[in-house]
Amino acid sequence: MRRRTWQRRGASLLLPGLLAGCSGVQSILAPAGTDAAFLSNLFWVMLAGAVVLWFFMNGLMVYVWRVNVGHMSSRKAEALIIGGGIVFPTVVIGVLLSVALNAMPDMRAEGTGTRLKVTGEQWWWRVEYWPEGAEAPIVSANEIVLPANSRSEIGLTADKVIHSFWVPALGGKTDMFPGRETRMSLEPLKPGTYRGQCTEFCGESHAWMAFNTVVLPQDEYDAWLDAQAEPAAAPASESAERGQAVFLSEGCGACHAVRGTAAAGKVGPDLTHLGARTSLAAGTLPMTQDALVRWVRDAKAVKPGAEMPAYDHLTEDELSDLAAYLEGLT
Amino acid sequence: MSVFGIERSRSLWHLILAPTIWAIHFCVTYGMTAIWCERAPAASGDLRLWILIVTAVALAMILGVAWRAWRQWDYTDDYDYEHDGPTIEDRREFLGHAGFLLAVVSVIGVIYVALPAAFVGSCG
Ligand code: HEC
Ligand SMILES: [Cu+2]
Repeated sequence: MRRRTWQRRGASLLLPGLLAGCSGVQSILAPAGTDAAFLSNLFWVMLAGAVVLWFFMNGLMVYVWRVNVGHMSSRKAEALIIGGGIVFPTVVIGVLLSVALNAMPDMRAEGTGTRLKVTGEQWWWRVEYWPEGAEAPIVSANEIVLPANSRSEIGLTADKVIHSFWVPALGGKTDMFPGRETRMSLEPLKPGTYRGQCTEFCGESHAWMAFNTVVLPQDEYDAWLDAQAEPAAAPASESAERGQAVFLSEGCGACHAVRGTAAAGKVGPDLTHLGARTSLAAGTLPMTQDALVRWVRDAKAVKPGAEMPAYDHLTEDELSDLAAYLEGLT
Repeated sequence: MSVFGIERSRSLWHLILAPTIWAIHFCVTYGMTAIWCERAPAASGDLRLWILIVTAVALAMILGVAWRAWRQWDYTDDYDYEHDGPTIEDRREFLGHAGFLLAVVSVIGVIYVALPAAFVGSCG
């Protein structure tokens, strides 16, 4: 009795987690891009094959151990071992290998549309968009925006340690190395928001090193990129104005850039259009005033090891002014 | 006695020769690809041709080993797998049998190792 309830409880705890994994924004089973679709098809084909094989092998075992004990001629047994044990797996693995290898050139194809460069930092993502013919990039951070139905070229590198770039709903993953540039390309098909995650252990806050990928229809993407190239919006309220003053007097600009203002630091994420992002601090917090206050007051309390000092000497009013300013940077 | 001694050491060679060729083929194709793609990434067509040649040579050598191991096993003589007695004849057949199976594995291994070159056309 007792065991039953435990089992049931275990199952009821496990099941939502498993099902959520199938429909989530970070699932290889809910593909939204060409490469991810191929990978998930491969997964389902292999799973189906494995299930069939599992039943066949167990059926065979029951057959020779229970049903037809000792009646198989040695010729037949030999044929079964050579056919089923050598030829069949060799062919199956050969076919799977060929299918996967055949898809690789397509997946690694050079992007034709947007070009961007992503750098893995401790523990955030530096993002640069390089439109056709641009001499300087449009700098952003902690979120990437891609046009749908177009293959984007993504150059990858890292600052101090190895990170890895993976958006499961869009494609495979690629490592990012300090001092070296790797590359990949992604072709998203469905507009939407998909979560990416650093998948190479990189220190204390590795698990908090995520990002959203926002896929937009091409025309919306073009408009978005134009807006992204613009300098920051001027503070739109008195609170935000006071916040800007705090921002500049506290020296946030030594690490952060807000284009169009005196803040031009390059150590931390570019904040020019922070308020337009869908998450704060590399997928760690929602983009809300409360979260901004929490973050600025003590970043390390949110993200262990975060390389940004705490500002717990600021008053609640100063913090909420700052948050109003930052949220207005759309 | 010395005649048998040579025979026995030769038959041991059959056992490890095929996997050794497989290992060398692996090192040569991978090493060649690494150097070629670093030095002359544009000439990947030539690289693929060389991989084809190296692979054909390795396969021919392994098939040769397989043929000799097959003869040593002497399966068609008695169609049995029994060679676990303490005789020179049995030891010979056992090593031939094992060498033949290792040659089969090595053929599969060499083909799988070379397969990427058939599908992935460039160094990029
Ligand atoms: C010593 C350099 C440094 C200073 C000074 C600094 N920051 Fe940061 N800041 C960082 C780093 C590094 C990160 C990224 C941390 C992470 O995500 O792990 C960050 C992240 C942020 C983020 C989140 C950015 C995003 O893309 O989600 C905000 C907002 C922010 N800082 C605001 C501020 C404000 C406001 C101040 C001044 C009161 C300030 N920072 C001072 C280094 C600094
Ligand atoms: Cu990381």
